[in-house]
Amino acid sequence: MLRWFEENGRESDVVISSRVRLARNIRDYNFSLKLTDDDARKMVNDLTAEIGKLEAVKDYSSYDFARLDDYQKMAMKECHVISDFLLGQKVAAGFVSKEEDVSIMLNEEDHIRIQAYASGMNMEKAFELADKTDDAIEQAVSYAYDEKYGYLTTCPSNVGTGMRASYMLHLPALSSNNRISGLAAEVGRFGLVMRGVYGDSSRSYGDIYQLSNQITLGISEKEIIDNLSHIANQIISQERALRRQYVINRKLSALDAVYRSYGVLRYARKMSLKDAMLLLSQVRLGLAQGLVMTDSETEFCVYQLMIGIQTANLALMNENELSEEELEEYRAKFIRDNLPVIR
Amino acid sequence: MLCENCYQNEATFHYTEVINGVMTEHHLCSSCASKMGLSGFGDSLGGNFPFVKLLTGLFAASNRAGEEADNPMLHVKCPKCGMNYQEFIRVGKFGCAECYDVFGPLIEDNMKKLQGSIEHKGKRHLDKSESADNENKNETASKSVSGKAAEKKSKSKTDILDEIAVLNAKLKEAIELEEYEDAARYRDEIKALKEGGRDA
Repeated sequence: MLRWFEENGRESDVVISSRVRLARNIRDYNFSLKLTDDDARKMVNDLTAEIGKLEAVKDYSSYDFARLDDYQKMAMKECHVISDFLLGQKVAAGFVSKEEDVSIMLNEEDHIRIQAYASGMNMEKAFELADKTDDAIEQAVSYAYDEKYGYLTTCPSNVGTGMRASYMLHLPALSSNNRISGLAAEVGRFGLVMRGVYGDSSRSYGDIYQLSNQITLGISEKEIIDNLSHIANQIISQERALRRQYVINRKLSALDAVYRSYGVLRYARKMSLKDAMLLLSQVRLGLAQGLVMTDSETEFCVYQLMIGIQTANLALMNENELSEEELEEYRAKFIRDNLPVIR
Repeated sequence: MLCENCYQNEATFHYTEVINGVMTEHHLCSSCASKMGLSGFGDSLGGNFPFVKLLTGLFAASNRAGEEADNPMLHVKCPKCGMNYQEFIRVGKFGCAECYDVFGPLIEDNMKKLQGSIEHKGKRHLDKSESADNENKNETASKSVSGKAAEKKSKSKTDILDEIAVLNAKLKEAIELEEYEDAARYRDEIKALKEGGRDA
Protein backbone atom coordinates (compact mmCIF):
# COMPACT_ATOMS: atom_id res chain seq x y z
CA MET A 1 0.00 0.00 0.00
CA LEU A 2 1.20 3.50 -0.79
CA ARG A 3 2.16 5.83 1.99
CA TRP A 4 0.21 9.08 2.40
CA PHE A 5 2.88 11.18 0.67
CA GLU A 6 3.12 8.80 -2.27
CA GLU A 7 -0.44 9.16 -3.44
CA ASN A 8 -2.76 12.00 -4.34
CA GLY A 9 -5.98 12.27 -2.38
CA ARG A 10 -9.05 14.46 -2.70
CA GLU A 11 -8.49 18.06 -3.89
CA SER A 12 -4.88 17.09 -4.42
CA ASP A 13 -4.27 19.95 -6.84
CA VAL A 14 -4.02 22.14 -3.73
CA VAL A 15 -4.21 19.92 -0.64
CA ILE A 16 -1.22 17.65 -0.03
CA SER A 17 -2.34 16.15 3.25
CA SER A 18 -4.60 16.29 6.28
CA ARG A 19 -3.19 15.76 9.73
CA VAL A 20 -4.59 15.44 13.24
CA ARG A 21 -2.45 15.59 16.33
CA LEU A 22 -3.66 14.84 19.86
CA ALA A 23 -1.72 15.88 22.96
CA ARG A 24 -2.07 13.68 26.05
CA ASN A 25 -0.32 13.46 29.41
CA ILE A 26 -0.16 10.76 32.04
CA ARG A 27 -1.53 11.69 35.42
CA ASP A 28 1.29 10.23 37.50
CA TYR A 29 4.23 12.07 35.95
CA ASN A 30 5.25 15.72 35.88
CA PHE A 31 4.89 17.37 32.47
CA SER A 32 7.95 17.62 30.22
CA LEU A 33 9.02 20.99 31.63
CA LYS A 34 9.44 19.51 35.12
CA LEU A 35 10.30 15.96 34.19
CA THR A 36 13.82 14.83 35.06
CA ASP A 37 15.73 12.69 32.57
CA ASP A 38 15.47 9.72 34.92
CA ASP A 39 11.71 10.09 35.24
CA ALA A 40 11.42 10.62 31.49
CA ARG A 41 13.27 7.35 30.93
CA LYS A 42 11.01 5.57 33.38
CA MET A 43 7.88 7.04 31.82
CA VAL A 44 9.00 6.18 28.30
CA ASN A 45 9.76 2.61 29.36
CA ASP A 46 6.40 2.27 31.14
CA LEU A 47 4.48 3.64 28.19
CA THR A 48 6.41 1.61 25.64
CA ALA A 49 5.55 -1.54 27.58
CA GLU A 50 1.87 -0.64 28.12
CA ILE A 51 1.18 0.62 24.62
CA GLY A 52 3.22 -2.16 23.05
CA LYS A 53 0.75 -4.68 24.49
CA LEU A 54 -2.22 -3.12 22.72
CA GLU A 55 -3.91 -4.92 19.86
CA ALA A 56 -4.23 -1.62 17.99
CA VAL A 57 -0.47 -1.20 17.61
CA LYS A 58 0.28 -4.86 16.91
CA ASP A 59 1.66 -4.17 13.43
CA TYR A 60 3.42 -0.94 14.36
CA SER A 61 7.16 -0.69 14.45
CA SER A 62 8.70 0.85 17.54
CA TYR A 63 11.78 2.98 17.98
CA ASP A 64 13.81 4.39 20.84
CA PHE A 65 16.16 7.35 20.49
CA ALA A 66 18.74 5.41 22.49
CA ARG A 67 19.18 3.18 19.46
CA LEU A 68 19.04 5.78 16.67
CA ASP A 69 21.72 8.07 15.27
CA ASP A 70 21.13 11.73 14.45
CA TYR A 71 20.59 11.12 10.75
CA GLN A 72 17.99 8.46 11.33
CA LYS A 73 16.11 10.78 13.67
CA MET A 74 16.32 13.69 11.25
CA ALA A 75 15.13 11.54 8.37
CA MET A 76 12.11 10.53 10.45
CA LYS A 77 11.40 14.19 10.98
CA GLU A 78 11.73 14.92 7.27
CA CYS A 79 9.19 12.16 6.58
CA HIS A 80 6.87 13.83 9.15
CA VAL A 81 6.97 10.72 11.36
CA ILE A 82 8.28 12.68 14.34
CA SER A 83 8.10 16.35 15.26
CA ASP A 84 10.75 19.05 15.60
CA PHE A 85 10.23 19.02 19.33
CA LEU A 86 10.77 15.28 19.65
CA LEU A 87 13.94 15.58 17.57
CA GLY A 88 15.35 17.87 20.27
CA GLN A 89 14.60 15.45 23.12
CA LYS A 90 17.30 13.35 24.74
CA VAL A 91 14.93 10.63 25.87
CA ALA A 92 12.16 9.67 23.48
CA ALA A 93 10.54 6.67 21.86
CA GLY A 94 7.46 5.84 19.88
CA PHE A 95 5.43 3.67 17.55
CA VAL A 96 4.80 4.07 13.83
CA SER A 97 2.18 2.30 11.73
CA LYS A 98 3.25 0.28 8.71
CA GLU A 99 2.05 2.91 6.23
CA GLU A 100 3.61 5.64 8.37
CA ASP A 101 0.25 7.38 8.66
CA VAL A 102 -0.08 6.97 12.44
CA SER A 103 2.71 7.91 14.81
CA ILE A 104 2.69 7.78 18.60
CA MET A 105 5.45 9.95 20.06
CA LEU A 106 6.49 9.50 23.67
CA ASN A 107 8.06 12.32 25.72
CA GLU A 108 7.26 15.10 23.30
CA GLU A 109 6.20 18.44 24.81
CA ASP A 110 3.39 16.32 26.20
CA HIS A 111 3.94 12.74 27.33
CA ILE A 112 2.04 11.31 24.39
CA ARG A 113 1.46 12.86 21.01
CA ILE A 114 -0.71 10.90 18.62
CA GLN A 115 -0.45 11.97 15.03
CA ALA A 116 -2.33 10.74 11.96
CA TYR A 117 -1.99 11.71 8.32
CA ALA A 118 -4.23 11.19 5.30
CA SER A 119 -3.42 12.19 1.73
CA GLY A 120 -5.28 15.09 0.20
CA MET A 121 -8.30 16.65 1.87
CA ASN A 122 -9.54 13.97 4.22
CA MET A 123 -9.52 15.26 7.77
CA GLU A 124 -12.27 12.80 8.72
CA LYS A 125 -9.95 9.89 8.02
CA ALA A 126 -7.01 11.50 9.81
CA PHE A 127 -9.23 12.19 12.83
CA GLU A 128 -10.66 8.69 12.87
CA LEU A 129 -7.18 7.18 12.84
CA ALA A 130 -5.96 9.42 15.66
CA ASP A 131 -9.14 9.02 17.69
CA LYS A 132 -9.06 5.21 17.49
CA THR A 133 -5.46 5.18 18.60
CA ASP A 134 -6.37 7.49 21.48
CA ASP A 135 -9.24 5.18 22.50
CA ALA A 136 -6.88 2.25 22.56
CA ILE A 137 -4.22 4.01 24.62
CA GLU A 138 -6.86 5.31 27.01
CA GLN A 139 -7.56 1.69 27.96
CA ALA A 140 -3.98 1.21 29.04
CA VAL A 141 -3.07 4.40 30.88
CA SER A 142 -4.65 7.13 33.03
CA TYR A 143 -4.56 10.49 31.29
CA ALA A 144 -4.27 13.83 33.05
CA TYR A 145 -7.84 14.98 32.50
CA ASP A 146 -9.99 17.56 34.20
CA GLU A 147 -13.77 17.88 33.88
CA LYS A 148 -13.46 21.60 33.38
CA TYR A 149 -10.28 22.00 31.33
CA GLY A 150 -10.42 18.71 29.45
CA TYR A 151 -7.13 17.08 28.51
CA LEU A 152 -4.39 18.83 30.46
CA THR A 153 -1.34 19.83 28.44
CA THR A 154 1.99 21.49 29.11
CA CYS A 155 1.07 24.52 27.05
CA PRO A 156 -2.22 26.32 27.68
CA SER A 157 -2.55 26.69 23.91
CA ASN A 158 -3.30 22.94 23.63
CA VAL A 159 -5.54 22.36 26.62
CA GLY A 160 -9.09 21.07 26.13
CA THR A 161 -9.27 18.74 23.18
CA GLY A 162 -5.46 18.72 22.89
CA MET A 163 -6.13 18.58 19.20
CA ARG A 164 -4.37 20.35 16.38
CA ALA A 165 -5.75 19.65 12.92
CA SER A 166 -3.87 20.91 9.89
CA TYR A 167 -3.96 20.88 6.15
CA MET A 168 -0.75 21.03 4.15
CA LEU A 169 -1.48 23.23 1.15
CA HIS A 170 0.40 23.89 -2.07
CA LEU A 171 -0.21 27.57 -2.87
CA PRO A 172 2.06 28.64 -5.74
CA ALA A 173 -0.43 31.08 -7.26
CA LEU A 174 -1.29 32.80 -3.99
CA SER A 175 2.38 33.07 -3.05
CA SER A 176 3.54 34.46 -6.37
CA ASN A 177 0.80 37.08 -6.08
CA ASN A 178 2.07 38.00 -2.59
CA ARG A 179 -1.20 37.06 -1.00
CA ILE A 180 0.15 34.85 1.76
CA SER A 181 0.80 37.39 4.49
CA GLY A 182 -2.63 38.92 3.95
CA LEU A 183 -4.20 35.49 4.17
CA ALA A 184 -2.23 34.62 7.28
CA ALA A 185 -3.56 37.72 9.01
CA GLU A 186 -7.06 36.95 7.80
CA VAL A 187 -7.18 33.35 9.03
CA GLY A 188 -6.00 34.57 12.45
CA ARG A 189 -9.38 36.16 12.92
CA PHE A 190 -10.97 32.74 12.69
CA GLY A 191 -8.72 31.23 15.32
CA LEU A 192 -6.48 29.60 12.72
CA VAL A 193 -2.81 29.96 11.93
CA MET A 194 -0.96 29.59 8.64
CA ARG A 195 2.78 29.15 8.31
CA GLY A 196 5.38 28.02 5.79
CA VAL A 197 6.49 24.41 6.08
CA TYR A 198 9.96 24.76 4.52
CA GLY A 199 12.51 27.55 4.67
CA ASP A 200 12.43 30.59 6.86
CA SER A 201 11.53 33.60 4.76
CA SER A 202 8.15 35.08 4.00
CA ARG A 203 7.81 32.68 1.10
CA SER A 204 8.03 29.01 1.94
CA TYR A 205 10.27 26.87 -0.29
CA GLY A 206 8.04 24.94 -2.63
CA ASP A 207 5.09 27.20 -1.74
CA ILE A 208 3.92 24.71 0.87
CA TYR A 209 1.97 26.05 3.82
CA GLN A 210 0.28 24.57 6.80
CA LEU A 211 -3.12 25.77 7.98
CA SER A 212 -4.08 24.72 11.52
CA ASN A 213 -6.48 25.53 14.33
CA GLN A 214 -5.23 27.64 17.20
CA ILE A 215 -8.17 27.23 19.56
CA THR A 216 -8.44 23.95 21.46
CA LEU A 217 -10.66 24.73 24.43
CA GLY A 218 -14.44 25.10 24.48
CA ILE A 219 -14.77 23.70 21.00
CA SER A 220 -15.42 20.10 20.03
CA GLU A 221 -13.20 18.07 17.73
CA LYS A 222 -15.86 18.17 15.04
CA GLU A 223 -16.21 21.95 15.29
CA ILE A 224 -12.45 22.31 14.97
CA ILE A 225 -12.48 20.25 11.78
CA ASP A 226 -15.55 21.99 10.33
CA ASN A 227 -14.17 25.44 11.02
CA LEU A 228 -10.75 24.57 9.59
CA SER A 229 -12.16 22.86 6.51
CA HIS A 230 -14.47 25.77 5.84
CA ILE A 231 -11.55 28.23 5.71
CA ALA A 232 -9.36 25.76 3.83
CA ASN A 233 -12.05 25.49 1.16
CA GLN A 234 -12.06 29.25 0.73
CA ILE A 235 -8.28 29.32 0.36
CA ILE A 236 -8.48 26.45 -2.13
CA SER A 237 -10.99 28.31 -4.28
CA GLN A 238 -8.89 31.49 -4.19
CA GLU A 239 -5.80 29.53 -5.22
CA ARG A 240 -7.72 27.84 -8.02
CA ALA A 241 -9.15 31.10 -9.32
CA LEU A 242 -5.68 32.64 -9.53
CA ARG A 243 -4.28 29.51 -11.20
CA ARG A 244 -7.05 29.58 -13.81
CA GLN A 245 -6.41 33.24 -14.58
CA TYR A 246 -2.71 32.54 -14.93
CA VAL A 247 -3.18 29.50 -17.17
CA ILE A 248 -5.76 31.22 -19.37
CA ASN A 249 -4.26 34.69 -19.64
CA ARG A 250 -0.62 33.72 -19.72
CA LYS A 251 -0.65 30.21 -21.07
CA LEU A 252 2.69 30.46 -22.86
CA SER A 253 4.46 31.83 -19.81
CA ALA A 254 2.85 29.14 -17.67
CA LEU A 255 3.93 26.35 -20.02
CA ASP A 256 7.39 27.86 -20.35
CA ALA A 257 7.83 27.97 -16.57
CA VAL A 258 6.83 24.32 -16.17
CA TYR A 259 9.05 23.04 -19.01
CA ARG A 260 12.02 25.14 -17.94
CA SER A 261 11.71 23.79 -14.42
CA TYR A 262 11.39 20.26 -15.74
CA GLY A 263 14.43 20.78 -17.97
CA VAL A 264 16.61 21.88 -15.08
CA LEU A 265 15.36 19.08 -12.82
CA ARG A 266 15.93 16.53 -15.58
CA TYR A 267 19.49 17.56 -16.47
CA ALA A 268 21.08 19.48 -13.60
CA ARG A 269 24.11 17.88 -11.95
CA LYS A 270 23.96 19.92 -8.73
CA MET A 271 20.91 21.14 -6.91
CA SER A 272 20.38 23.19 -3.77
CA LEU A 273 17.35 22.39 -1.64
CA LYS A 274 15.82 25.78 -2.24
CA ASP A 275 16.13 25.55 -6.04
CA ALA A 276 14.83 22.01 -6.09
CA MET A 277 11.77 22.91 -4.03
CA LEU A 278 11.05 25.91 -6.24
CA LEU A 279 11.32 23.90 -9.47
CA LEU A 280 9.34 20.95 -8.13
CA SER A 281 6.63 23.38 -7.08
CA GLN A 282 6.36 24.52 -10.72
CA VAL A 283 6.16 20.94 -11.98
CA ARG A 284 3.52 20.11 -9.38
CA LEU A 285 1.49 23.10 -10.53
CA GLY A 286 1.89 22.07 -14.19
CA LEU A 287 0.69 18.52 -13.51
CA ALA A 288 -2.20 19.67 -11.33
CA GLN A 289 -3.45 22.13 -13.96
CA GLY A 290 -3.08 19.63 -16.79
CA LEU A 291 -0.47 21.77 -18.54
CA VAL A 292 1.81 18.74 -18.77
CA MET A 293 1.36 15.02 -18.26
CA THR A 294 3.31 11.93 -17.31
CA ASP A 295 3.14 8.73 -19.35
CA SER A 296 1.77 6.75 -16.47
CA GLU A 297 -1.93 6.09 -15.91
CA THR A 298 -1.74 6.97 -12.25
CA GLU A 299 -1.10 10.49 -11.15
CA PHE A 300 2.42 11.15 -9.98
CA CYS A 301 2.74 12.58 -6.49
CA VAL A 302 5.44 15.26 -6.55
CA TYR A 303 5.47 15.67 -2.79
CA GLN A 304 7.31 12.36 -2.30
CA LEU A 305 10.26 13.90 -4.18
CA MET A 306 10.11 16.95 -1.94
CA ILE A 307 10.53 14.66 1.06
CA GLY A 308 13.19 12.51 -0.60
CA ILE A 309 15.51 15.43 -1.38
CA GLN A 310 15.70 16.66 2.21
CA THR A 311 19.18 16.50 3.69
CA ALA A 312 18.99 13.58 6.13
CA ASN A 313 17.00 11.39 3.75
CA LEU A 314 19.72 11.83 1.12
CA ALA A 315 22.44 11.13 3.64
CA LEU A 316 20.66 7.96 4.82
CA MET A 317 20.13 6.70 1.29
CA ASN A 318 23.83 7.05 0.62
CA GLU A 319 24.77 5.64 3.97
CA ASN A 320 27.31 8.25 4.89
CA GLU A 321 27.78 11.83 5.88
CA LEU A 322 27.79 14.10 2.82
CA SER A 323 29.66 17.33 2.21
CA GLU A 324 27.61 20.27 0.95
CA GLU A 325 28.73 19.60 -2.63
CA GLU A 326 28.07 15.86 -2.49
CA LEU A 327 24.67 16.61 -1.03
CA GLU A 328 23.80 18.80 -4.02
CA GLU A 329 25.15 16.19 -6.38
CA TYR A 330 23.12 13.36 -4.81
CA ARG A 331 20.04 15.57 -4.69
CA ALA A 332 20.26 16.22 -8.44
CA LYS A 333 20.80 12.52 -9.08
CA PHE A 334 17.88 11.50 -6.88
CA ILE A 335 15.60 13.81 -8.83
CA ARG A 336 16.85 12.55 -12.22
CA ASP A 337 16.27 8.97 -11.09
CA ASN A 338 12.80 9.51 -9.68
CA LEU A 339 11.17 12.24 -11.72
CA PRO A 340 8.91 10.67 -14.36
CA VAL A 341 9.08 11.73 -18.00
CA ILE A 342 6.79 14.66 -18.64
CA ARG A 343 5.27 15.78 -21.93
CA MET B 1 11.22 54.64 13.55
CA LEU B 2 13.51 52.65 15.82
CA CYS B 3 12.76 49.17 17.10
CA GLU B 4 10.96 49.39 20.44
CA ASN B 5 12.92 46.45 21.79
CA CYS B 6 16.58 47.11 20.96
CA TYR B 7 16.42 50.83 20.04
CA GLN B 8 19.16 50.15 17.48
CA ASN B 9 17.70 49.05 14.18
CA GLU B 10 15.00 50.52 12.05
CA ALA B 11 11.62 48.97 12.87
CA THR B 12 10.37 47.06 9.86
CA PHE B 13 7.92 44.79 11.60
CA HIS B 14 4.69 46.41 12.71
CA TYR B 15 1.83 44.65 14.30
CA THR B 16 -1.32 45.55 16.08
CA GLU B 17 -2.77 43.38 18.75
CA VAL B 18 -6.38 43.72 19.70
CA ILE B 19 -7.36 42.08 22.92
CA ASN B 20 -10.93 42.57 24.02
CA GLY B 21 -11.12 45.79 22.10
CA VAL B 22 -7.91 47.26 23.49
CA MET B 23 -5.56 47.99 20.62
CA THR B 24 -1.80 48.16 21.06
CA GLU B 25 0.71 48.81 18.30
CA HIS B 26 4.19 47.35 18.28
CA HIS B 27 7.16 48.28 16.12
CA LEU B 28 10.14 45.94 15.98
CA CYS B 29 13.18 45.35 13.82
CA SER B 30 13.24 42.07 11.94
CA SER B 31 15.85 40.44 14.17
CA CYS B 32 13.98 41.25 17.37
CA ALA B 33 10.73 40.14 15.77
CA SER B 34 12.17 36.79 14.81
CA LYS B 35 13.78 36.43 18.23
CA MET B 36 10.36 36.86 19.74
CA GLY B 37 8.97 34.38 17.29
CA LEU B 38 6.84 37.02 15.63
CA SER B 39 8.14 36.77 12.10
CA GLY B 40 4.98 35.05 11.03
CA PHE B 41 6.26 32.22 8.88
CA GLY B 42 8.84 29.55 8.96
CA ASP B 43 9.43 29.69 12.65
CA SER B 44 9.55 25.99 13.27
CA LEU B 45 8.10 26.27 16.74
CA GLY B 46 5.94 29.19 15.81
CA GLY B 47 2.64 27.37 15.61
CA ASN B 48 1.80 28.99 18.88
CA PHE B 49 2.26 32.61 17.94
CA PRO B 50 0.79 34.80 19.20
CA PHE B 51 -0.88 32.59 21.65
CA VAL B 52 1.70 31.84 24.27
CA LYS B 53 3.42 35.17 23.72
CA LEU B 54 0.20 36.94 24.51
CA LEU B 55 -0.61 34.66 27.37
CA THR B 56 2.71 35.21 29.07
CA GLY B 57 2.94 38.81 27.98
CA LEU B 58 -0.44 39.46 29.40
CA PHE B 59 0.12 38.16 32.83
CA ALA B 60 3.54 39.66 32.98
CA ALA B 61 2.02 43.04 32.23
CA SER B 62 -0.87 42.71 34.63
CA ASN B 63 1.48 41.68 37.39
CA ARG B 64 4.42 43.93 36.70
CA ALA B 65 3.51 46.20 39.59
CA GLY B 66 3.32 43.26 41.93
CA GLU B 67 6.71 41.92 41.04
CA GLU B 68 8.57 44.82 42.50
CA ALA B 69 6.56 45.03 45.69
CA ASP B 70 6.30 42.08 48.02
CA ASN B 71 3.51 40.46 46.13
CA PRO B 72 2.32 37.44 48.11
CA MET B 73 1.72 35.70 44.79
CA LEU B 74 5.45 35.27 44.55
CA HIS B 75 5.19 32.60 47.24
CA VAL B 76 2.68 30.53 45.34
CA LYS B 77 4.24 27.25 44.36
CA CYS B 78 2.89 24.01 42.94
CA PRO B 79 3.23 21.34 45.64
CA LYS B 80 3.72 18.56 43.11
CA CYS B 81 6.28 19.79 40.60
CA GLY B 82 7.65 22.87 42.39
CA MET B 83 6.71 25.33 39.66
CA ASN B 84 6.53 28.81 41.19
CA TYR B 85 4.57 31.84 40.15
CA GLN B 86 7.46 33.76 38.60
CA GLU B 87 8.60 30.81 36.54
CA PHE B 88 5.06 30.13 35.44
CA ILE B 89 4.67 33.69 34.20
CA ARG B 90 7.99 33.55 32.39
CA VAL B 91 7.43 30.27 30.54
CA GLY B 92 3.64 30.37 30.32
CA LYS B 93 3.46 26.60 30.59
CA PHE B 94 2.28 24.13 33.19
CA GLY B 95 4.66 21.80 35.03
CA CYS B 96 2.18 19.06 35.92
CA ALA B 97 -1.52 18.32 36.12
CA GLU B 98 -1.74 19.92 39.56
CA CYS B 99 -0.44 23.23 38.22
CA TYR B 100 -3.85 23.64 36.62
CA ASP B 101 -5.38 23.77 40.10
CA VAL B 102 -2.67 26.09 41.42
CA PHE B 103 -2.27 28.52 38.51
CA GLY B 104 -5.38 27.81 36.46
CA PRO B 105 -7.65 30.25 38.32
CA LEU B 106 -5.05 33.01 37.96
CA ILE B 107 -5.04 32.91 34.20
CA GLU B 108 -8.68 32.13 33.67
CA ASP B 109 -9.41 35.57 32.23
CA ASN B 110 -6.50 35.41 29.83
CA MET B 111 -7.36 31.88 28.86
CA LYS B 112 -10.83 33.02 28.06
CA LYS B 113 -9.55 35.86 25.92
CA LEU B 114 -7.20 33.61 24.01
CA GLN B 115 -9.11 30.36 23.76
CA GLY B 116 -12.51 32.04 23.71
CA SER B 117 -13.69 29.74 26.49
CA ILE B 118 -12.56 28.00 29.65
CA GLU B 119 -14.90 25.04 29.57
CA HIS B 120 -13.87 21.91 27.74
CA LYS B 121 -16.28 20.62 25.17
CA GLY B 122 -15.55 17.55 23.11
CA LYS B 123 -14.14 14.13 23.78
CA ARG B 124 -14.16 13.02 27.41
CA HIS B 125 -11.60 10.79 28.98
CA LEU B 126 -13.01 7.73 30.65
CA ASP B 127 -10.57 6.56 33.18
CA LYS B 128 -10.33 2.81 33.67
CA SER B 129 -10.56 3.19 37.44
CA GLU B 130 -13.50 5.55 37.13
CA SER B 131 -15.52 3.35 34.85
CA ALA B 132 -14.91 0.38 37.11
CA ASP B 133 -16.08 2.61 39.91
CA ASN B 134 -19.31 3.43 38.10
CA GLU B 135 -20.04 -0.24 37.70
CA ASN B 136 -19.58 -0.71 41.41
CA LYS B 137 -21.88 2.19 42.05
CA ASN B 138 -24.62 0.67 39.95
CA GLU B 139 -24.22 -2.55 41.80
CA THR B 140 -24.62 -0.78 45.11
CA ALA B 141 -27.71 0.98 43.82
CA SER B 142 -29.31 -2.19 42.60
CA LYS B 143 -28.82 -3.80 45.95
CA SER B 144 -30.45 -0.67 47.40
CA VAL B 145 -28.06 -0.43 50.28
CA SER B 146 -29.00 2.41 52.58
CA GLY B 147 -26.97 4.18 55.24
CA LYS B 148 -24.99 7.35 55.27
CA ALA B 149 -21.79 5.97 53.82
CA ALA B 150 -23.55 4.61 50.77
CA GLU B 151 -25.43 7.85 50.34
CA LYS B 152 -22.26 9.83 50.43
CA LYS B 153 -20.66 7.50 47.99
CA SER B 154 -23.48 7.73 45.54
CA LYS B 155 -23.36 11.51 45.48
CA SER B 156 -23.67 11.99 41.77
CA LYS B 157 -20.82 13.25 39.69
CA THR B 158 -22.75 16.34 38.62
CA ASP B 159 -23.21 17.37 42.26
CA ILE B 160 -19.50 17.18 42.81
CA LEU B 161 -18.86 19.14 39.65
CA ASP B 162 -21.30 21.84 40.74
CA GLU B 163 -19.59 22.04 44.08
CA ILE B 164 -16.23 22.35 42.39
CA ALA B 165 -17.56 25.13 40.17
CA VAL B 166 -18.79 27.06 43.22
CA LEU B 167 -15.47 26.60 44.98
CA ASN B 168 -13.62 27.69 41.87
CA ALA B 169 -15.60 30.91 41.80
CA LYS B 170 -14.86 31.48 45.48
CA LEU B 171 -11.21 30.76 44.86
CA LYS B 172 -11.05 33.32 42.12
CA GLU B 173 -12.74 35.92 44.25
CA ALA B 174 -10.38 35.25 47.14
CA ILE B 175 -7.40 35.70 44.85
CA GLU B 176 -8.74 38.95 43.52
CA LEU B 177 -9.27 40.20 47.07
CA GLU B 178 -5.76 38.98 47.89
CA GLU B 179 -7.08 36.72 50.64
CA TYR B 180 -4.55 34.04 49.98
CA GLU B 181 -5.22 31.93 53.05
CA ASP B 182 -8.81 31.49 52.00
CA ALA B 183 -7.67 30.83 48.46
CA ALA B 184 -5.37 28.07 49.62
CA ARG B 185 -8.20 26.50 51.60
CA TYR B 186 -10.55 26.56 48.62
CA ARG B 187 -7.83 25.12 46.45
CA ASP B 188 -7.34 22.21 48.86
CA GLU B 189 -11.07 21.61 49.07
CA ILE B 190 -11.33 21.50 45.30
CA LYS B 191 -8.44 19.10 45.20
CA ALA B 192 -10.02 16.87 47.82
CA LEU B 193 -13.30 16.81 45.93
CA LYS B 194 -11.58 15.95 42.69
CA GLU B 195 -9.59 13.17 44.28
CA GLY B 196 -12.63 11.97 46.19
CA GLY B 197 -14.50 11.73 42.92
CA ARG B 198 -11.69 9.67 41.55
CA ASP B 199 -11.16 7.23 44.43
CA ALA B 200 -14.71 6.93 45.76
